[in-house]
Amino acid sequence: MPDHGLRITNLRCQVAGKEILKGIDLAVEPGKIHALMGPNGSGKSTLAFSVTGHPQYQVTGGSVELDGEDILVLPPDKRARAGLFLSFQYPAAIPGVKVANFLHAARQAERPGDLPPAKFRALLLEKMEQLGIDPSFMGRYLNDGFSGGEKKRLEMLQLAVLAPKYAILDETDSGLDIDALKDVGTSIAALRASEEGRNTGFLIITHYPRILSYVVPDVVHVMIDGRIVKTGGHDLAHRIEREGYDKLREESAVVA
Amino acid sequence: MPSLAPVVAARDDATQELYDRVAELDPSPLSIEQRTGALDRFLSLRSGREKPGRFWRVDFESIAPQASAIDLSAGNVRVENHDPAVFVCDLATAARKRPEPFARAFGTTGIAATKFGSLAAAFAQCGVFVHVRADHACDVPIVIHYSAPAGAAIFPWTVVLVERGARVTIVERVEGGAGAFLCGATEVVTEERADVHYAAFQNAGDGARIIWNRAARPGREARMAWASAELGGELAAGDLSVSIEAPGVQADLTAIFFPRGTQHVDVISTVDHRAGDATSETLVKTAALERGQARFLGNIRIAPHAQGSDARLRDDALLLSPTAHVDSVPALEIGANAVKAYHGATVGAIDAEQIFYMESRGLERGAAERMIALGFFEPAIERFPTAQLRDEIRAALAAKLS
Repeated sequence: MPDHGLRITNLRCQVAGKEILKGIDLAVEPGKIHALMGPNGSGKSTLAFSVTGHPQYQVTGGSVELDGEDILVLPPDKRARAGLFLSFQYPAAIPGVKVANFLHAARQAERPGDLPPAKFRALLLEKMEQLGIDPSFMGRYLNDGFSGGEKKRLEMLQLAVLAPKYAILDETDSGLDIDALKDVGTSIAALRASEEGRNTGFLIITHYPRILSYVVPDVVHVMIDGRIVKTGGHDLAHRIEREGYDKLREESAVVA
Repeated sequence: MPSLAPVVAARDDATQELYDRVAELDPSPLSIEQRTGALDRFLSLRSGREKPGRFWRVDFESIAPQASAIDLSAGNVRVENHDPAVFVCDLATAARKRPEPFARAFGTTGIAATKFGSLAAAFAQCGVFVHVRADHACDVPIVIHYSAPAGAAIFPWTVVLVERGARVTIVERVEGGAGAFLCGATEVVTEERADVHYAAFQNAGDGARIIWNRAARPGREARMAWASAELGGELAAGDLSVSIEAPGVQADLTAIFFPRGTQHVDVISTVDHRAGDATSETLVKTAALERGQARFLGNIRIAPHAQGSDARLRDDALLLSPTAHVDSVPALEIGANAVKAYHGATVGAIDAEQIFYMESRGLERGAAERMIALGFFEPAIERFPTAQLRDEIRAALAAKLS
């Protein structure tokens, strides 16, 4: 089925009138893990927000198709219901909204009526146990007063509960210690091992290669200055670890 | 030479009719002379509230009930009390059968010195006296229902006396039909180490005007928690106060307002730290939708000798429409130096990043906004007693948001 995949074609995007993405081509196939690497300011998060529909990110050209459907015409919630998930680098705190209620509302929105409340609760507890999350999380307000690590764990819990078709993880590794990094790897592995998530395609955005020791990518892309300058296998991440981005930047400048 | 004697305005017909109605009342718990004096005060005092202007439409100085609408029956009140050890009766019975404990609370909070407290006193007829004896723990909440029929004016007066070491939770439910007028008062007086949680939930119908005055005088080391949700009516105006006259008091004031359409809410809270080593925490959450308007004035006063006071005031307002208007005025008057006093106020719309976060999880924008708005109230809702009441408040807020 050739249409399957999260297919980004020649995507251009502006933020506050400044062009950040200068023609991105990238396709994430179901069940595959793609890593998107690049230095700070290269446009990685802009790609994540423009694909998921953040209103401040203005797409000026190109297309994004999810399993053959043009999603750029859809509002953010419909993109999510089409199967797209974004793990935020800085998740918003929403005081007064309890984690359990929010997750139930999100699951209901994305998969209406698929689980009665008792079964949903059982699913939630199971996923929390898998991720080593204390059950008291359920009664806390969404990201309110959470540490950086707790926020990332909650993003991983949402990933597990929503089991999207395609997940973009925007610097989920930033600010995490080694144990927390391992937990992210465990989360992704657990989702891929589940019936719901075995075909989830991942786009893991990072500027440090270390997370890729715990989540082994099928494809690695390198973004510099709003363009994908290199695509390769897992060894590309190792090269970046050895050489940094400067050499790739020089090569891309020569090509450009 | 002009006379310096007070000028008594000639009574017009409408005013005279009010006096005529006062004369029809039972002379208990207040004599006709006392009631007439209260009506005099109501007519001569100013409300101390904002005048009509660019935003505020309500002229509090001209508010008065229609004499013909005044319901002088002692009905319109129903009490649920499942604890036989707690004495509950109407005011006339209290004045007759328990004059001593009744007098320890009734009329001792200064409510009757205010404009609308005077009006409530002038016509106080349907009311409830709750008396909890020393060291008694009343574990089942007492529920008081006041209901103003459509088009009628009622004046409920609640008096609560809680003796030393006793504990009680009281829920006051206020309902009003279309066009009803309710002007009520609640006085809570406690002795040392008493623990009182008093919640009021008002969800009156369209066009109702609800004016209330609630005042407490907790005893030494007592805990006094007020919680008030004003959701219905065309006008909801009130005063919520605690006068701390003994050390060790813990006072919590919580209020929820949500004017929508053309509703107008106007509330003044006052915590008067007259004794030291007491804590108070005021939390107010206001959301306004469409042309809803709310005005909140939060007073904290710490007397010069009230050292060791710890007073906090937090007031958050959420504007859900460009035409909604909320004024929030925290006012701290601190006379002592060894105290902690904090106030914080926020007014704003829903954060766009919060909405996007929820949308990115599949929630439609409207559903996301509703969930965020309901969450905004939640820290205040959690300070209301009983799960049932909290759920009712959530449901009423959700209905207003829908």
